[in-house]
Amino acid sequence: MDMSQYRELFLSEAREHLDKMNKLAVALEQEPDDLEMINALFREAHSIKGMAATMGYEATSRLAHHLEDALDGCRQSGRLSETLADRLLEGIDLLETLVEDIKAGNPEQDVSFFLEAPTDETEDGEFAELSPIQAADEEPAAAGEAAEETPAVSPEPETFQVLMTLAKNAAMPAARGLLLLRELENRGEVIACDPDRETMQAGFPLKQLKAWFRTAQKRDFLQEVLLAFPDVEQVDFIDDRRQEAARSGEEAVRTVRIRTDLLDRFVNLAGELLTQRHVLRASSGKRDWPGVDAALEETGRLVGELHHHVLRTRLMPLESVAGRLPRIVRDLGRKTGKQVAFRLIGGEVGIDRVILDQLADPLVHLVRNAVDHGIADSGEVMVSARRERDMVLVEVRDTGTGMDPEALRQKAVEKGLLSASQAAELSDREALLLICRPGFSTADEVTETSGRGVGMDVVKAAVEDLGGTLDILSAPQAGTRFLLRLPLSIAIIKLILVRCCGMPLALPVTRVQRIIELPREQIHQESETPWFALDEERIPLVPLAELLGQKRPAIEPVACVVLTEWHGVQVGLLVGGFVGHRDAFVKPLGFPLDRTAGLSGAAIEGDGSVLFIVDPQPLLAERSVDFLPHKMEEKDAP
Amino acid sequence: MSLRVMIVDDALFMRNMLKDIFTRAGFEVVAESEDGQAALEDYRRVQPDLVTMDIVMPKRSGIEALRDIIGEDPKACVVMVSALGQDSLVLEAVESGARDFIVKPFKEDNVLDVVRRVAS
Repeated sequence: MDMSQYRELFLSEAREHLDKMNKLAVALEQEPDDLEMINALFREAHSIKGMAATMGYEATSRLAHHLEDALDGCRQSGRLSETLADRLLEGIDLLETLVEDIKAGNPEQDVSFFLEAPTDETEDGEFAELSPIQAADEEPAAAGEAAEETPAVSPEPETFQVLMTLAKNAAMPAARGLLLLRELENRGEVIACDPDRETMQAGFPLKQLKAWFRTAQKRDFLQEVLLAFPDVEQVDFIDDRRQEAARSGEEAVRTVRIRTDLLDRFVNLAGELLTQRHVLRASSGKRDWPGVDAALEETGRLVGELHHHVLRTRLMPLESVAGRLPRIVRDLGRKTGKQVAFRLIGGEVGIDRVILDQLADPLVHLVRNAVDHGIADSGEVMVSARRERDMVLVEVRDTGTGMDPEALRQKAVEKGLLSASQAAELSDREALLLICRPGFSTADEVTETSGRGVGMDVVKAAVEDLGGTLDILSAPQAGTRFLLRLPLSIAIIKLILVRCCGMPLALPVTRVQRIIELPREQIHQESETPWFALDEERIPLVPLAELLGQKRPAIEPVACVVLTEWHGVQVGLLVGGFVGHRDAFVKPLGFPLDRTAGLSGAAIEGDGSVLFIVDPQPLLAERSVDFLPHKMEEKDAP
Repeated sequence: MSLRVMIVDDALFMRNMLKDIFTRAGFEVVAESEDGQAALEDYRRVQPDLVTMDIVMPKRSGIEALRDIIGEDPKACVVMVSALGQDSLVLEAVESGARDFIVKPFKEDNVLDVVRRVAS
């Protein structure tokens, strides 16, 4: 079978499992005897092992198996020892490199150095216990011998479904079900059961008990044990790997995996539908079609709703990028010798995937800064997210030493960034934002992790590029809060950039039919509204500058014309020049700019300057008297 | 060595019936208690391999006695003896650590199956 088609899926799932492992391992280090977490980690390692083995990634599979065994040892001993915690994290790191190798199309690196590394785990013995299992893997003969000695135990635990059918007249089936469940629990791990425990505890009768079960015990032995129970008529075992996979992800049954580029296409198509709706409406206005208007209205509403829901499919939980933060805090804390706790609140809050992608690095940056510069010796770093209307508020907060606005003012003056009087005029909030100026840093030491300058300018730019804002709240000894206000989802649209009134302006590509370079001789300037002929049509020309309330510029020897349409009438917009085209995140404009006719939004340029997006439609509406065909004809009439 | 069984039931009839079944099967009945309160004292004294416990009894109920015994000896093998329709009580007993249950009226074979399974 050709496995390459599953490669992408493997990579993305492995990534998810590794993120969870990282998070769990760090959490487990805080509470080393949390069996739930040990079990969860075990399942993650187990999933990776299974996937990698199926794909034929041998080193990945072996390493995952190794970690799985170590975790199984923890389950036996009931805790994760400190040395093992380190080794586990090393193992996860190594797994990550392997997955990266696979992603890059390189051969997996050799992991035997890790698998064979001597461990002094004599007190726990988790890794010591490994040797016989490994031997069994490598030499089938040894496995056979082991099996002979303990006939009830398979060399390796396996997961399957146990189906226990009760007799028709079984007495007290709920109690029987609970006893069977307990028996299974004594002999392995019950991943899930149907009916579940609560249902049986409530006394609901059952005819069958189905359990997803993982055990090292042999099936025929288990069957014997279970059939010895009163009223148990039949015991079946079902291999069901899909069920197992489905159980491991709680929602997996109700969700499907879709490639994200497909989702992006849905978003784009829905966006285009949205603009086509306007075109349709404009065209329908030309004639009186009974019924069409109402249908168009309804279609418009439906398309709007479709667009809204399609955008929602791109929402992903913050957790998907914040998953690595606990590990980062932990490692950094160790390196700097600080006691730093990490807390994530609102990890489930959904944010547009495109935004999340852009947010990942700034978040890591802020968290690193918090540990490195914010916290002195010990404290907490908290990342939280919450919805606020159509925005998401992401906050990175530390309980560290805080920042002094006054010190920042002084520093800005010392560095020559501001004059003393400029600095004095800054509010505290503005003073705190000084740290986002390129080259500005208050950390007196250069640390290995964040360096000097710490790239707050990059963080701020990234947030603003997404149409968000960055705010900083801090005071000496009161910790620091970085508030990132981000749009819930963003529209990416294609823009045509033109020059007008000496500045670049952008037109949505959906408003542009053609761009034309027109020799001045072809322009008829005899009437109030100049025009040119295109495909035997008379196209009125309107200077964009004039639409925007500026003086009408002189027509260049070669005029640049953007052909657009207003209610079915083609109109040429005269602009000062063509600059190019680009994709951009569109930010809505705030009050009072949003009241300006023709300004539909803005995008941030790479250098931080604002690029206004002009929608010519409302502007043309104001000027329509000048170029509507009948008007033009009237004017031309003798 | 034969299985050492203790019977807890307030009805002499039931105690005798169970005792006959166990004796015929070659088990040794080491104690018979009339109520839940006596059960714990008897359990401490004879340390049986297995206990059959009636649920509805005077003084202390079978479930209370079960909890007393499990509280002292978490490994205790206690099989509840219940009447039909006491489903919720049996559930409670199972949750409290009873190893299995027998429903009255019972058949000799059923009782022995349960006891042998639990004791194995």
